[in-house]
Amino acid sequence: MNYFRQLLTVTLWEYKRFYKIKNELLGIAVLLGMGVIGYYGGSLAVGAIAEKGDITIAMDQPEKLEEILADGYVVTKVPVTDIDAEIEKINTRQEGTLLWKEDETFVLHAWKEPARMNKLREYLGKYHQHLTMERKDLSQSDMDELMGDAPLKTRYEYVHRQEKTRLVAFFFAGIMVMTVFISFAYQFTAITGEKQLRITEQIVSAIKPQVWMDGKILGITLTSLSSMISYFLLSIIGGIVLFIFTDRPVSSIGDYLYPGAMVLYFLFTFAGILLWNSMLAAVASIITDPNNSGKGGLMMLPSLFVLGSLLVLLNPDNGTSVFLSWFPLTSATAMPMRWLSTPVAWWEVAGSFALLAITLYFTRKLAAKIFRVSILISGKEPGWGEVIKLVRNS
Amino acid sequence: MILNVSQLTKNFRNVRAVKNLSFDVMEGEIFAFLGPNGAGKTTTLRILLDIIKPDSGTVDWHLKGSKSGLADPTMMGYLPEERGLYPDLPVLRTLIYLASIRGMNPRQAHTEAMLWLEKLGLDKRANEKLQALSKGNQQKVQFVASVLHKPRFAILDEPFSGFDPVNQELFIGFIKELQQTGTTVLLSAHQMQLVEKIASRVMLINKGEELFLGSLAQLYERYSDRKTFEVSFTSDIPITQLTELKGAIAADKLANEKYHITFQSDMPVYAILSLLASLKTISEVKSMTPSLHDIYVSLVGNKSSIESDNVNA
Repeated sequence: MNYFRQLLTVTLWEYKRFYKIKNELLGIAVLLGMGVIGYYGGSLAVGAIAEKGDITIAMDQPEKLEEILADGYVVTKVPVTDIDAEIEKINTRQEGTLLWKEDETFVLHAWKEPARMNKLREYLGKYHQHLTMERKDLSQSDMDELMGDAPLKTRYEYVHRQEKTRLVAFFFAGIMVMTVFISFAYQFTAITGEKQLRITEQIVSAIKPQVWMDGKILGITLTSLSSMISYFLLSIIGGIVLFIFTDRPVSSIGDYLYPGAMVLYFLFTFAGILLWNSMLAAVASIITDPNNSGKGGLMMLPSLFVLGSLLVLLNPDNGTSVFLSWFPLTSATAMPMRWLSTPVAWWEVAGSFALLAITLYFTRKLAAKIFRVSILISGKEPGWGEVIKLVRNS
Repeated sequence: MILNVSQLTKNFRNVRAVKNLSFDVMEGEIFAFLGPNGAGKTTTLRILLDIIKPDSGTVDWHLKGSKSGLADPTMMGYLPEERGLYPDLPVLRTLIYLASIRGMNPRQAHTEAMLWLEKLGLDKRANEKLQALSKGNQQKVQFVASVLHKPRFAILDEPFSGFDPVNQELFIGFIKELQQTGTTVLLSAHQMQLVEKIASRVMLINKGEELFLGSLAQLYERYSDRKTFEVSFTSDIPITQLTELKGAIAADKLANEKYHITFQSDMPVYAILSLLASLKTISEVKSMTPSLHDIYVSLVGNKSSIESDNVNA
């Protein structure tokens, strides 16, 4: 029986074993439910914030301040002489906000810090600006000129693939993080679970460890990718809905789906997930008891590298970004993001991908070797030193 | 000859699991590997299947149609000692998968699986999850998984363990059926009374070493002249006192004050009785014809005596 037929059998088995459309739809329904709750919950919260609060001011000439504060507060004026009585009231009722001035400084007395403190600071800033304008005898246009931006015209030589495709870059990075987490869960179950259920011996008597390992890596990668595609389609639908609600032409969604970026992202993402699955499989092969293993934490390593690769977005041209876009453990996300953000030579893209593919080739070989030497270890979990020794001797 | 094993040795750290084992398996026979727990049976079987590598020695397969001297998985069936299948998946689906990776067409695997399940009275439960079946039925499914693809050579590691006597008999029937359909069977076990019903030849091993290799008739012929007694004393006696007697090979306690003891063939009966009487007052003594089980127990129970017998089949 040839390698590819066995590989196909194992891949489909793993895929069907883990990818459950029912669970996927349930996950999407929960996500949509959370979205709806978030939207309406947010609206309610915004509505609550929009309600005007109460404030009492004790000043001699409060007219202008009252006018400014009236935008967000129901203002009550009291004479300066009543400050002590008002403070007494606040302390007794355990609520209320009182504002007055001592020389040039505002004093705020409240039972606790007001919910709209930032807004209040903004209003007081406006009032302070008004007083300064009066004192310096400045008109509103003088003030606008003083506070305005420096006049600037921009002319960029390199302008393609900017803001819209950058959004796609974030989207794919997010998808990559998601798929790595999904793969982590499945790979852990697939390998340690089978070891614990004592299925492995039966399987490796029938097929070579390399076929079994490749089938697992590919099957679980396809499972993750299927989830990724589901969420990708969901996001497009979400985008269309958003465009309809915001009165933008739905056709402009195409601006975000730049075909070159999509192909590049897909190739790098696919190779990257395969690589991470190979590494996760290698680690999972050593684990004999997932509940007490000290190596489970290593399974989180991929997310660290994926998140680290986001540094490219800060400055795609510096040395760190170039390194991250070539380094096989980060290049799957870093290179496409760099390519979208700055001019990257074709040979850099090709070289980075080749390096990623070579690393993948050897990692899956290593994973199968580790699996082979650790398959029958069901007692004490071997240390890394022991595993390296076993692999060398195998 | 379908399998030739020569000078096989395997060590695990400081433990010698298998030491210089050599044997052949003939096409169409049922060959049994006998030995107590930890004798090296499973390690040998794993080496035969290329799951682990030997430190030295060779394994040559001569399966017709196989291109190399290695075990061709499509022609092999394997029931591991450490058993397990996917508990959360349907029985039939699992059986088809396991037969498919051994090269069987999925449609044919479906048909064969249903025939087996029918034979086991599980055909109506084919689409149930494995975990819904009783432990005994799960064991049966495991057996089916190892032979469904009609292997030319089946390796069954402890096929009777976990079964009650009724099911043990059932599986003896299945193994005979396999042989009749042309499958050569190599099984490992430690239940002599079951092995003697099906095996044409046996290899007894203990602590990784060969004790005997040959047919059951040869085994009986070689060791049946040993002297076995069932002795009752007036009170209990430590078993070590019996095994330390001159010429004693093995001893078992059968009941209170009642023992089963085997002596070397060259020990005169009067000398044996005199030795026993010197320990305690004898209330009853019976001379027994040793069964194959007695021979097995005496062989694996006292390896040093075997070495002195210079067994070399």
